[in-house]
Amino acid sequence: MDLRNSSSVSSARRLFGAIFHPIEGVTRVVTTPINNIWHGITDYGDVSQDNKRLKDLIARQEGATIANIAGVREAQELLALNGLPTLAGIDSCTGQVVGQSPSNFSQTVEINRGRRCGIRVGMPVLNAAGLIGKVTESLDDRAVVMLITDPAYSLSVKIVNQPPPKVTVPNKVPESPENQTTTTTSTTTTTTIAPKSMIPGFTPGVTIATLPNASPNAPSSESTIAGDIRPGQGNVSQITVPPGANLPLRETGALEGRGLSRAPIVRFIENQPRFGVVYIGSPIVSSGGATSLAPPDIVVGTVSRIISRTGTLGPLLEVKVAANLESLNFVRVLLYQPTTERPSAP
Amino acid sequence: MNRILTIAQQPLTRLFLVALIVLSFQTTIFNTMRPFGVCLQVMLLLSTSSGLARGSEIGAIAGFIVGMMYDLVLSTPLGLGAVVFALVGYLAGMTNSFVHQPTWWTKMLLAGAASGLGMLFMPLALTIVGREGVMNRHILVVALVVGVTNAAATVPAERLCGWVLSEPSEVR
Repeated sequence: MDLRNSSSVSSARRLFGAIFHPIEGVTRVVTTPINNIWHGITDYGDVSQDNKRLKDLIARQEGATIANIAGVREAQELLALNGLPTLAGIDSCTGQVVGQSPSNFSQTVEINRGRRCGIRVGMPVLNAAGLIGKVTESLDDRAVVMLITDPAYSLSVKIVNQPPPKVTVPNKVPESPENQTTTTTSTTTTTTIAPKSMIPGFTPGVTIATLPNASPNAPSSESTIAGDIRPGQGNVSQITVPPGANLPLRETGALEGRGLSRAPIVRFIENQPRFGVVYIGSPIVSSGGATSLAPPDIVVGTVSRIISRTGTLGPLLEVKVAANLESLNFVRVLLYQPTTERPSAP
Repeated sequence: MNRILTIAQQPLTRLFLVALIVLSFQTTIFNTMRPFGVCLQVMLLLSTSSGLARGSEIGAIAGFIVGMMYDLVLSTPLGLGAVVFALVGYLAGMTNSFVHQPTWWTKMLLAGAASGLGMLFMPLALTIVGREGVMNRHILVVALVVGVTNAAATVPAERLCGWVLSEPSEVR
């Protein structure tokens, strides 16, 4: 009946919500002790295990967070300098999940913030780990969020393909000390050797274009000089490596939910040689764009499985969602309304 | 004043008020207590019990009202749940009419079967209107768990619906 989003149906839902939500609130308060008893009986073991696991996780992540904050700040400054959109420039509204969908066939949650906070239909919703879904209904003090596992959810995403891992070989090759990094594992000691070219004066991965007439003492306006390359110091002509040649490649696709019991998938990945092989664990972020449901570079998850297909069809990628959708609590609604979700003028 | 009282005493008014309270339980406590990962469906129980208590026609009407109220808090297309719940209420009432001298356990069986069928009809209806990904093996678990739990709660629910849907003279 309401597949065309008629205003009368929305008004009916809003009116019924106004009558029903106070009753629901009273019932929630009354049934909270019973609810707590139920969860105390059924979830105690899981909660204890989760608590231990999370304590370990926090200890590990505290150090990484500090480094990441600095990195994120630098990235935002770079994006701002180049006039590119960043999440830092988008206002948000923080809310708490107050309930799931009472249906067994849709994946939605309800949050305790709504139109009064500026939330509108279509806005992306995140938690600390990453994207969790989008707003599908907004009342005065409540909003319904469709999770990214819902079959009706679709989002344009980017897959950041990591370069192939460096080869590790046993510690047999004699190398100069500055090129060695020693890693200790539980079984043996291996040495990671930075790839060294046989071409004199060329080190792969250097992001610098050398200038033939540059003075050795002149300050360089280019980026870092790695290894032993110095402009003018080589006795043979040097090879210019264009900046960004070793940056991770990106490819876009469409993420689709497949229900609660199945991981979302990414379709329409082009099977092009430049992009190369997708690795399990490659990060997936929102792609952004004028018609996208979310701004760019919101973390969605990682590739958990690759399903190869024949011919020119690209692979299907199963996604391990970064956010734990089964235990959502505080969420952040980005006050970013996609153009496709804006109500058209009458 | 008399007019308001008369309206308030109508079975459908009582049904609306009782369904409102049951719906609040559905969206709170039964929403979080999920045995085997399945959300129990007390609104569906209300529909089947209405059919068992008052026959197929009243069961269908009650099911439609209850389903429509449920649809108003869900994000599924409005009216879909109403149609499914009306069908379930009708089925429960109709099959009960074939039973010679229904007993408490026959009603439990019928309510369980009707509820289980309702949980199979719902994803079917969702698929018909274009929702993808809802027809999977998990719906069998949902149907089984909802069927068993609704069967267990049929006797008190049927008594409640018998009172709710009775005519004003019977209540006095």
